[in-house]
Amino acid sequence: MRTPTNSTASVNRRALLQQLGGGLGMLGAAAAMSSAERLEAGQAGTSAGPHFPPKAKRVIHLFMNGGPYQGDLFDPKPALEKYAGTRPPGADLLTERPTAGLLPSPFRFRRHGDSGLEVSELLPRLAQHADDLCVLNALHADNPNHGPALLQMNNGTIIPTRPSMGAWFLYGLGSENQNLPGYLVLCPGRPVRFSILWNSAFLPSKYQGTYINHSTIDPEKMLPHLRNGRWDSQTQRDQLDLLQQLNATHLSQRGNDSTLAARVEAMETAFRMQSEAHEAFDLQRETKATRQAYGEGHFANGCLLARRMVERGVRFVQVYYGNGQPWDTHSNHDKTTRKLCQDIDQPIAALLADLKQRGLLDETLVIWGGEFGRTPTSENGNGRDHNHHGFTMWMAGGGVRGGMTYGETDEFGFKAVADKMHVHDLHATVLHLLGLDHQRLTYRHAGRDFRLTDVFGRVVDEILA
Amino acid sequence: MIPRGVLRLALCVAVVMSPTVMTPTAVVTAAETAAATVSADQLDFFERKIRPLLVQHCYECHSEQSDTMHAGLRLDAADGLAAGGDSGPAVVPGHPADSLLIQTVRYDGDIQMPPEGKLSEREIEHLVRWVRDGAAMPSTPATARPAAAGIDWQQGRQHWAFQPAHVQDLPTVTRSDWPRTRTDHFLLAAMERQGLEPAPPADRVTLIRRLYFDLLGLPPTPEQIDAFVQDRRVDAYQRLVDRLLASPRYGEKWGRWWLDMARYTDRTASWLPQTSHAYLYRDWVVAALNDDVPYDRFVHRQLATDLMPETGPEDLAALGFLSLSPAYWKEPKLPCEIIKTIVADEWEERVDAVSRTFLGLTVACARCHDHKFDPISSEDYYALAGVFASVRHAERPLIDEAAYEPVRKAKQRVAALEKEIQALRKQKPSAESEDAEKRQAEIKSRQAEIERIRQTTPNYDVPLVNALVEESTYVVRAGKTPEEGTAFEHRPEPRDLPAFIRGNPNRPGPIVPRRFLTVLTDQPQPFTEGSGRLELARAMTGEARSVTARVIVNRIFLAHFGRGIVATPSNFGRQGDTPSHPRLLDDLAARLIAEGWSLKWLHRELVLSAAWRQAASTSPKKLAADPPNRWLSRMETRRLDVEPWRDAVLSVSGALDHRVGGPSQPVDDANNRRRTLYATVHRRDMAATLMVHDFPDPTQHSPARSVTTTALQGLYALNGPLLLGHADRLLERLEREAGDASAAQRIERVYRLLYGRGPTMGERELGVAYVSAGDGEEAAERWQSYLHVLLAANEFMFVD
Repeated sequence: MRTPTNSTASVNRRALLQQLGGGLGMLGAAAAMSSAERLEAGQAGTSAGPHFPPKAKRVIHLFMNGGPYQGDLFDPKPALEKYAGTRPPGADLLTERPTAGLLPSPFRFRRHGDSGLEVSELLPRLAQHADDLCVLNALHADNPNHGPALLQMNNGTIIPTRPSMGAWFLYGLGSENQNLPGYLVLCPGRPVRFSILWNSAFLPSKYQGTYINHSTIDPEKMLPHLRNGRWDSQTQRDQLDLLQQLNATHLSQRGNDSTLAARVEAMETAFRMQSEAHEAFDLQRETKATRQAYGEGHFANGCLLARRMVERGVRFVQVYYGNGQPWDTHSNHDKTTRKLCQDIDQPIAALLADLKQRGLLDETLVIWGGEFGRTPTSENGNGRDHNHHGFTMWMAGGGVRGGMTYGETDEFGFKAVADKMHVHDLHATVLHLLGLDHQRLTYRHAGRDFRLTDVFGRVVDEILA
Repeated sequence: MIPRGVLRLALCVAVVMSPTVMTPTAVVTAAETAAATVSADQLDFFERKIRPLLVQHCYECHSEQSDTMHAGLRLDAADGLAAGGDSGPAVVPGHPADSLLIQTVRYDGDIQMPPEGKLSEREIEHLVRWVRDGAAMPSTPATARPAAAGIDWQQGRQHWAFQPAHVQDLPTVTRSDWPRTRTDHFLLAAMERQGLEPAPPADRVTLIRRLYFDLLGLPPTPEQIDAFVQDRRVDAYQRLVDRLLASPRYGEKWGRWWLDMARYTDRTASWLPQTSHAYLYRDWVVAALNDDVPYDRFVHRQLATDLMPETGPEDLAALGFLSLSPAYWKEPKLPCEIIKTIVADEWEERVDAVSRTFLGLTVACARCHDHKFDPISSEDYYALAGVFASVRHAERPLIDEAAYEPVRKAKQRVAALEKEIQALRKQKPSAESEDAEKRQAEIKSRQAEIERIRQTTPNYDVPLVNALVEESTYVVRAGKTPEEGTAFEHRPEPRDLPAFIRGNPNRPGPIVPRRFLTVLTDQPQPFTEGSGRLELARAMTGEARSVTARVIVNRIFLAHFGRGIVATPSNFGRQGDTPSHPRLLDDLAARLIAEGWSLKWLHRELVLSAAWRQAASTSPKKLAADPPNRWLSRMETRRLDVEPWRDAVLSVSGALDHRVGGPSQPVDDANNRRRTLYATVHRRDMAATLMVHDFPDPTQHSPARSVTTTALQGLYALNGPLLLGHADRLLERLEREAGDASAAQRIERVYRLLYGRGPTMGERELGVAYVSAGDGEEAAERWQSYLHVLLAANEFMFVD
């Protein structure tokens, strides 16, 4: 037999929280920073909030880790047939490993939608959304190794000591939902370089990404410590009541110190998060129809989780395709790519349709791509090497123009040649869509102001809706 | 419009595949030519065809109006054109093909301008014609900027942080009975100037709890508290301070404080040798602090113990500060132009960590240009970077190389034998049993041989530590062409670096001898002893001792008081904070040096002060008068860092394993009952427990812990295994120590264990009501959940 220990405790707790001024703003950027940190930050200045009205409020980044080959998917190059097996001038660019002659893609392209965008037969369902896609065909990066390229794509630089773009997004905008982490990284396993790709480096640690291994979709396994394995909900409620009562006394004797008060609130939030986050991560709550629309597999689950998260105001969700670097097809390229595309086609198409149907696509920027692309030349006979000279990414929703391509590679699809878009430009543009000026989003550290785009970056106006 | 091509040359991450070679003919300047031969027609052509083109495509980045003069190139003035930019003169009048401007607009080379797209053929033709005809341009407008003035060293040396520190006269104070130490005089004088009064002294229970956490990072036991409270000797507190400073726990607590700055990791990059002895550096730091190694020696040994005659190979672990520095992957298949930038980034990391840690200066800001705010030139940067370019990370034994040589051979032999055993094991099992037996015998004999070598080779188990050797690194092409990748050449002699133009290692400028920072020395002399590490270390604690002493004083002051005299502990430059108590900082720095750089002296000076012994309580009036407590007229309630918090949990539950030193163990390992100092720090894969609780990023120097409060921390406290598990242990402890006690007595005990004080009447009643709510089997659970709450409470995580 058990009775609640103190029937008035809950009431007292609520009164206490109101007395503290309530509002989850307590956990906002300024309150959580120590005074020394604020000073180190100096006139870093940017408090949470956009610089101008944002087009996108949230971002989903579908990360094809390992690097997909653009020529199979969005950037058809008929000339490859003509030069197959040869290395004409321009097809001899340096990449990570030596490659041989040009290797045509066996996959066919067709024009889709009103826009007539060319999409590969490997992505038939995604092709139905052609008019929503803004295909960026002339991306380029600085380094053809996975590690540095992953760092550049995520952190803006190959130096592994800089904050990730998600940390910058949170620093700039804060989170819309205080009961969930504002920046989630979903991967059924571990991408290469791991947590450095979502770290906050010198930004306050609250801006770092929260990594979730969704290889099992049980919410309690995905979010460690989300549930208490010991106490039933009544006991937990009793505990919280007692805890906050003790904390209230402690606090009142210390002049309502703001750090103490912040922890009182954090406990309250954590308590609520148990149910809210559990609900948010529980795919079983989706209808059968929705589950079927996304299909099966880790990537499908990742896409569906991403939608559930952005629906709840999570600022940035990255969905890595898989453990290690699955798109890294140094051999057996065609066969592997076919299988990988089967895995992503339906879930991405379902995600776009779902976001649109729920009225979320307009405010949600979806980004697709790897850390680089692959070579039009062959490696090991049937493989393709890394290619940072030119590759494809696409965006949809969130303020970008659909049904267009931007940028061109050379006739082999090796190197970006026209309307080139460096990774810095991508970052500048994404920040712009989020209402942030990449030149003004700065943080003072180690004696100087840092930016996601360092001193580079151009907002690519041409693709803005 | 963003001029990527130029910027890429201009900046830290610049990558240039094949640097443009300037022809010697480029010495004729456009201005000279223009002055000599310019005609009205040519100027007219310039104004009609060339200037509009330059205005439209170039001036955003290359003119008086540019926010930043990109690549140092100015195209709106004749002398700017003549002087050219970082890559040299922009035009060679009369020679379009040799002119960088023309190569650039033709998109021929690596610099392709303008960045938004190639000019039309017609526009390019106009430019070619203009250059061929002598590149005439009207003379420079009067508004032209003067050339970069360089650094005014005389003025630079006037900055407060670079002044010699002297012992100060004590200021006069009204409340002359308050000060206990010299520090108090300065603090009280400032309070009185601000119209503030010191807070009353903290009671003894509060004081001992604060002191234990500050010096040892652990809570006092109820018995230790009682002994102190009852100690009526006049010097009871001094005795307590001395006793704690002599405890080996002191080095564990302050060792971690130092490791934040040293960006310590237990796991180096995966491609480096992995003998897993990084912890020897951690243990070295702990021991050095426990031994109160004078701070100047502490600095010397970490940078250069291998070059010091008075220390031997047993001290090599000290070099971990440098040898455990982050290493970045350098793909040998890539062209050396790319790899050079990666290696240069590593040098920058060393310059940054060393200059910020020891000198509180952001020297790395001067890699691409002179420091924008402080008197640190780009040459200064390369003078230091050369020191780090002249050493190489290497694992070294803790004994003489000569004595280790037989061990090295023995290890090679063992490795060969182990390979043979593996090969034997892999052989296809044959049907013949005789064969199998023979193989078993062969394996056995090799195993016996290995065992024999291990037993008979003296020093066989002596560890290899992460250390340094005096070798400079050159990044070169592996073959004749960039396509053939990169090779590294290591040479025994040290290396002076060229000042890279805009920080780009593919654009070397003049050679800069290795030497100390100009602003901190009267006459910078080139280093002559090897890499110069020891000379650098000696300069920091010699000529620059006032700077170095102020920086370390401020760090320790900050750790004790929760705020520094300078609020930016790793930036004493002009962009940093100015000292709140400059004379106190100078007095402490000068006396630290006079006291032989004893850090324990400094701790004593600070924790014995009346200021540090103030209560944390405050009045609304005082809070309003000085919200950030800049004038230290009270102490503040401080949150424990993750290490003392977890250590305290283990300590009160009775689980803490006090063993000192040795290999690390994952913090989330359920069997890990050691102090959090010994938790594995992994640069790429930080343990969730550490990450959630503001553990600093070990890839870079961390000046101070940030204090964030998040719901994830709340979840960890409510549901994580740490508090749940130790609530159980704590209950076991209570049952073991006072099994037959009443609920009220147990609550009394647990309050004293956790918070150092007994419960109030209300707290006791609340507790009794809580644990009595269950009966039978539930009773134990009710106790566990109660103890869990007490461990999760703010009072356990905060110290007054």
